[in-house]
Amino acid sequence: MKSAVQDYEAIKASVEAAANEHGEPHWFVDRRLAAIDAMQDLALPQVQRYDYHRWPLMDNMDLSWHRSDKALADSVPAATDQIRFVQVGQTTVAINLPDELDEQGVILTDIFSAFREHPRLTEKYFMDKVTKADENKLTAYHQAFLNAGVFLYVPKGVTIKQPIEAYLIQDSTVKQAMVSHVLIVAEEDSSFSFIQHLNTKGDEQNAASCMVEVLARANSNVHFSSVDELGEHTYSFLHRRANLSRNARFDWAIGVVNDQNTLGDFTSELIGEGAHSESKVIAVTTGKQSNGINNRVVNKGKHTVANISQRGVLLEKSELVFNGIGDIIHGASGANAEQENRVLMMSDQAHGDANPILLIDENDVIAGHAASVGQVDQNQLYYLMSRGIDKEQAQRLVIRGFLGPVLEDIPLPEVRQEMIEVIERKLEDGQHFK
Amino acid sequence: MATLEVKDLHVEIEEEKDQTREILKGVNLTMNTGEIHAIMGPNGTGKSTLSQTIMGNSAYHVTQGDILLNGESILDMPVDERARKGLFLAMQYPAEIQGVTNAEFLRAAINSRRPEDDQISVMAFLKELDKNLELLDMSEEMTERYLNEGFSGGEKKRNEILQLLMIKPSFALLDEIDSGLDIDALQVVSKGVNSMRGDNFGSLIITHYQRLLNYIVPDVVHVMMGGKIVKSGDAELAKKLESEGYAGLRDELGLDVSLVDDNR
Repeated sequence: MKSAVQDYEAIKASVEAAANEHGEPHWFVDRRLAAIDAMQDLALPQVQRYDYHRWPLMDNMDLSWHRSDKALADSVPAATDQIRFVQVGQTTVAINLPDELDEQGVILTDIFSAFREHPRLTEKYFMDKVTKADENKLTAYHQAFLNAGVFLYVPKGVTIKQPIEAYLIQDSTVKQAMVSHVLIVAEEDSSFSFIQHLNTKGDEQNAASCMVEVLARANSNVHFSSVDELGEHTYSFLHRRANLSRNARFDWAIGVVNDQNTLGDFTSELIGEGAHSESKVIAVTTGKQSNGINNRVVNKGKHTVANISQRGVLLEKSELVFNGIGDIIHGASGANAEQENRVLMMSDQAHGDANPILLIDENDVIAGHAASVGQVDQNQLYYLMSRGIDKEQAQRLVIRGFLGPVLEDIPLPEVRQEMIEVIERKLEDGQHFK
Repeated sequence: MATLEVKDLHVEIEEEKDQTREILKGVNLTMNTGEIHAIMGPNGTGKSTLSQTIMGNSAYHVTQGDILLNGESILDMPVDERARKGLFLAMQYPAEIQGVTNAEFLRAAINSRRPEDDQISVMAFLKELDKNLELLDMSEEMTERYLNEGFSGGEKKRNEILQLLMIKPSFALLDEIDSGLDIDALQVVSKGVNSMRGDNFGSLIITHYQRLLNYIVPDVVHVMMGGKIVKSGDAELAKKLESEGYAGLRDELGLDVSLVDDNR
């Protein structure tokens, strides 16, 4: 035990040195060190019916700074008139925010600049209001070794019509964990949508600890989409949580299309009365990869509405577990929580599970669930093939049909199209190696 | 000229508890492009089974006989290959697929017949599509809707014919394309099929009623009963059936076949 403690002391000393060298504010360095202390006693987050404790999610306990080659961002589609943030590894490649939004007080910047330039906002909101560092070992790790990320602040009453896009590219040309944080504060009556793209460049085996925190203040309207395409050598922990105040509307639309094992923990906490959240997740697994996804909604406020809709497709020898967790807290009268979890098995060697978990501590609520683990619809397949379409393409179209109800609800056509293309690519790969 | 031959075809289906039932009991039929054949017959006599078996639906098991397209047996070919060889089945109950637009599906079907480096251009596709939509009195909006999803019975039938016009097969099997259609829709659907008539197109039309055959006049009419073709003739045969009924023909031929609706 003594040597383990000594190890942690050594790690703390090196993290402190690296953070100071990086010019981080004292409050943040202190939080890093406290998180390293906390890690020693905290447990891994629990995911029902899913075991991931052997994954190398925290192997890299070295905080260091690396300037990535900006050319790694060349795959980001060129655009001059979009609101966007592009980061490769720890290196911010582009920030494009129109002047008029800047004048209205909108902030879009990398997370470390935000700590320095907007300490009042970030000290209060970073891993404090929405997620706590000491929730579990993985959240503490994230706080301790944070090395990338973005901060978005949208002031009261500001509506942004164009989506805000963040391209976060993991630099796996070097051996270094991606510990990246997206912090979004939507003040009262603000309205916007945010699209995140996660990618990996390079072939080093690295972990990714990617967190998203969204604070959706009263009457705000925020839509968050993510297209997750991390590489085949990246074990990832994706922790995303939104906290909704009175009458806020917040939606998730997430495509988990990574090529390696992924632990997803997505939550909407509906604190204020009348808040409404839709949580939509699509996942596709291939090869021998395993994805475990907790999609959780917590109704705390009265008359809150929280719906979950998840669909997953499994190919080859992959594993996918969808837990839909509906948590209705005592006092949340008039709450409404519906969930649907469905997985489609394209291979008899795959292992899929769809578990609805309802935790209801209030009588005056409406809650429902549907879950299924099914095979491909032979009638649809036959119909498509009878028009000359070969079996593999027909399968992909049937899969699209299966995912349709979730895809259909993605409000931004460009995200929907991107999601379709990414899924199609992954399915082709999975079919190819069968 | 293309030829489709059905020779002594016996087909059974699996019913519950590993029980099989023979539906087709030796069907013989030869048709060439340039010809329209109609198959009439009472309920439950195997008309749809014949069309599904020719197309290659795996629920139907061929136990004897053969199906030849241009002299080549197609029994071992999967459905998609038969389709690319020139067969088309307009289905009684087309599948609905959310998330896949009608237009995207049509392009995929057309492109499946073309080499990878010679896919149809968007312009050429749209031009052909517009022409056929107009012929079938369908709105452009129909092509951006999801495949058959939420389509009315009539819209589905029109959509089957739209596919027929876009894909241009050698042989089209039309399975009760008239069921559930009002007279206006029936005329539109018939117009679509008639527009395909020519030396490079043949069709096998399955129907209960003679009415459809007033609009699509067949060259040959076959009557099926008890899993076999019991009589063939010209368009007059259909009219005779309409007036005398299947029971009349059965008794005239001295067949021992029970008609599903006899006891009604």
